[in-house]
Amino acid sequence: MLIGIDVGGTYTDGVVFSEGSVVSSVKHPTDESDLEATLLSVLDELLARGGTKEVQRIVLSTTLVTNLLATGRGERTALLLLPGSGLPFSAYRISPDTYFLKGGMDFRGREIEAPDAKEVEEVLRKVHDSGIERVAVAGKFSNRNDAHERMVEDRARSLYPHMDVCTSNEIAGRLNFPRRAVTCYYTAMTMREWNRFADGIEAAIGARAPRSQVHILKADGGTTTLEASRKRPCETVFSGPAASTMGTIALSRESLNAVSVDIGGTTSDISLVIEGVPLYASKGALIGGHLTHINAFAVRSIPLGGDSRVYEESGELRLGPMRLGPAACLGGVEPTVTDVFNILNGLGLGDPDASRTKLQAVAGHLGLSLEELLGKVADEVVDRLERNIEEMFGLWEDEPAYKVWEVVHKRKFQLHRVIGIGAAAPAIVPMLAARMGVEHFLHRYSPVANALGAAVARPTLAVEVHVDTGRRTYTGSPGGLKGTVEKRNFQLEDARELARSCLKEASRDRGLGDYADEAHVYLEEQFNVIRGFAQEGKLFDVGIQIAPGFIHEYKGVA
Amino acid sequence: MKPTGVIFFPAFDWAISPTHPEREERLLYTRDQIFEEGIMDMPEVREYHPRLATAKDVSRVHFCVPDVESRVTEAHMVSAGCAMVMADAFMQKEVKNAFAIIRPPGHHAMTVVHGNRGFCDINNEAVMVEYLRRTYGVKRIAIVDTDVHHGDGSQEIFWHDPDVLFISFHQDGRTLYPGSGFTNELGGPLAHGTTINIPMAPRTTDEGIHYIMDNLVLPILDEFKPELVINSAGQDNHYSDPLANMSFTAQGYAILNQKLRPDIAVLEGGYSVETALPYINMAIIMAMAGIDFSNLREPDYNPSRFKESAKNMDYIRALVTHQLAAFRDREKVVEANRKEGREFYGSSRSIFYDTEYLQEEQRLDLRMCPECCGYRRISSSCAHHSGRSYSVFCISLPAACCPDCAARARQDYEDMKKKSGHGYLYLQDRIADEYKTFETGTGRETVL
Repeated sequence: MLIGIDVGGTYTDGVVFSEGSVVSSVKHPTDESDLEATLLSVLDELLARGGTKEVQRIVLSTTLVTNLLATGRGERTALLLLPGSGLPFSAYRISPDTYFLKGGMDFRGREIEAPDAKEVEEVLRKVHDSGIERVAVAGKFSNRNDAHERMVEDRARSLYPHMDVCTSNEIAGRLNFPRRAVTCYYTAMTMREWNRFADGIEAAIGARAPRSQVHILKADGGTTTLEASRKRPCETVFSGPAASTMGTIALSRESLNAVSVDIGGTTSDISLVIEGVPLYASKGALIGGHLTHINAFAVRSIPLGGDSRVYEESGELRLGPMRLGPAACLGGVEPTVTDVFNILNGLGLGDPDASRTKLQAVAGHLGLSLEELLGKVADEVVDRLERNIEEMFGLWEDEPAYKVWEVVHKRKFQLHRVIGIGAAAPAIVPMLAARMGVEHFLHRYSPVANALGAAVARPTLAVEVHVDTGRRTYTGSPGGLKGTVEKRNFQLEDARELARSCLKEASRDRGLGDYADEAHVYLEEQFNVIRGFAQEGKLFDVGIQIAPGFIHEYKGVA
Repeated sequence: MKPTGVIFFPAFDWAISPTHPEREERLLYTRDQIFEEGIMDMPEVREYHPRLATAKDVSRVHFCVPDVESRVTEAHMVSAGCAMVMADAFMQKEVKNAFAIIRPPGHHAMTVVHGNRGFCDINNEAVMVEYLRRTYGVKRIAIVDTDVHHGDGSQEIFWHDPDVLFISFHQDGRTLYPGSGFTNELGGPLAHGTTINIPMAPRTTDEGIHYIMDNLVLPILDEFKPELVINSAGQDNHYSDPLANMSFTAQGYAILNQKLRPDIAVLEGGYSVETALPYINMAIIMAMAGIDFSNLREPDYNPSRFKESAKNMDYIRALVTHQLAAFRDREKVVEANRKEGREFYGSSRSIFYDTEYLQEEQRLDLRMCPECCGYRRISSSCAHHSGRSYSVFCISLPAACCPDCAARARQDYEDMKKKSGHGYLYLQDRIADEYKTFETGTGRETVL
């Protein structure tokens, strides 16, 4: 028996999934002030309905960190930066408590300027004196050499043991110093609250289902153990859309190019699925106006949903974006998009006569017949969705390319199907798919796709190693991987092997079991380092990942 | 404020040969630096996607022997395409200016292309210029070539074109490839003075170059009033460049671009891959985007390391005075040349392709048109490594061609079809935007 719970902004959904079916599902309003209580009330109801079967795994998707960061309620956190040469310090507008330290590294991890121990201590004292207990440390090219960040961290830990200290190379090892700094800063900011939450959940679940694994859903659509999440709370942001997307793929289960359209009350979330794999935001998740190194799905939200109001303004037809309550057929005051499709497709929702009456009034204002109005609204809704989908294709096709091969073989998005989820999807998605000339897909479990997606998502993990044979070193992300390479004739296959073993080790540390065997290489680059017409060494970048997918126990829905 | 457009195309899968300066590694550390700085995420910068130039785009400038497909590598086609992407972004006002950080480079490629010269197959800036003229109707353009090597390809392409001002400053041709770019090279008889060369002594510093910028380049641009300024942005004047001997710094490059305010900059050479390129590319992006660059410096930068000698400053001052006068005399000289009343102006020369060791023999005839800058007829022969010897005849109509020249040039092409002696016959008709190739042996004609 598998349990998935998705804590959303308005509702919390939970499902019990067993032997290919959703055995039960629960929906409770979310109490933003006490997410733990909401979560447990859903869990308790699921357990009560689930009977005596043993729970193997519980996966939670929560808005805790998203909320902390979005509302600016995070605790004051100091950001200690070692930017060295480059952009002006004024470019780093991340924390109001930012301190700049001496110290610089270059792209191959060679020290340009040493940090100043006295300056470090002075800054730490200032941080302490202003009552700040959380510190994030980030240095440019710390992913190639973490010595400076370590030095600052060590000083902080020995002088102020009560401080929470995070270093950027441990949180994310990719290039892009500002994103690393932001990710590290947000981690330091939310770590304590997340751990408090994790403690509570761990105890509560321990009491209810002691033998169950507890996983947390991440922004990348994969899970991580509750234990491993303690070090990287930021990865849990935006897990709601990730849950929905994973749910749609779980239900459609074919490696097609698809677009998933989640039509909610006020917004529609669009995401692309390429050969069965959801598309990531190429620049990482955007949080609080800052790009981060957190892998998140590329989801486009447009202000158009089932509850978008249909009205007339200065002689023109308008749709949304405001929601003034439910559809007229469900007792609302104003007619909505749902009312339109209710009549158009004869859905028989609520009181169709109410839909008709209210829409008739709008049609009257516009000098249209009811049929004409229905046609116009439907066209407009489908147009807007289609336009946004096409733009997303275009953006994906126009991602920067750095190799001749990529430009010559320019990618083209060939759509196969439109997958609909959300309450209003059955009314709108078939029309949208027909317009785009592809099939549509709707599933009876669509309304609980989010919780189902959480329940059956497998763990994910990506490791990137950077090997410099000239300097005989390797570094890697995440988690400050590093070491030396001794082999004389180190080749790409050795780099691949190294990445694979780093991934295995990291997945062992995180309790991810044997999913490491399913990892595949997604990045492979090698460069000869030539000085004076002779080879001095090689540089390799290899990325390997357990991509988003489903746990072994999941074999599709019956 | 609009952002600065940047296209970064490092061609990570292309090299002339594994240890060649033009190899995969060239922009690797630049990638590391600009990605690590996160400058592409800033609102001041917008990154673009590369595209391929078409054979037609290339044919607006070049006569590729025997044709574009077999002569030009895909890498060069992407590189030229990137420059065009930047041109579109700028002309469509999506960006305030644009910088193409691309390889392979282009400024040594000349009108007729038998092979690779100075690491270049085709001329990225020239392909972009003809595209700008054709697509957006731009007329007057200035190219300032800031590469340490003389931009002999760009000079040759625009030699007879009075609407393109070509200024190149570079290390003295007596001390460096390609051995040209002297002060007496001022342009063809009808485009005299719109080619300006500024040969500098080895080890010239920031101070010397900025004196030239302030006292020669900027005043000339001011007087020429181009609609568009292009920086043919080589980075090998840097003190650490392994192929040249100058003493320019990253700060120097930043200030140069701040002064020049190019609308579009296109990377050319620069082979100090670790100690210069990452910092100069950052410097140029920052200067063009209006980001404070005072915190940018090379790891071994020392502001007091390079001092300009008094002797060199004297030389530079005299050079500036001389070239400023040459530029200001240009209309008088062109007028006098026209008055000579010759039908055609002819010249012959030999062109060496250093990358491939090819020797081309060329004869050029320019119509001394009383109305426009005249059309060109070029006959060229060269033995390729394939074992085949090519003898070709090329006719080129200038972008601002008068109807009389256009009619004569087209007639010449038809007349030549009936004669033997040349394996291939080309017509570059920029007025009709039509590019014809006639293979004499088979009588087959292709039109782009």
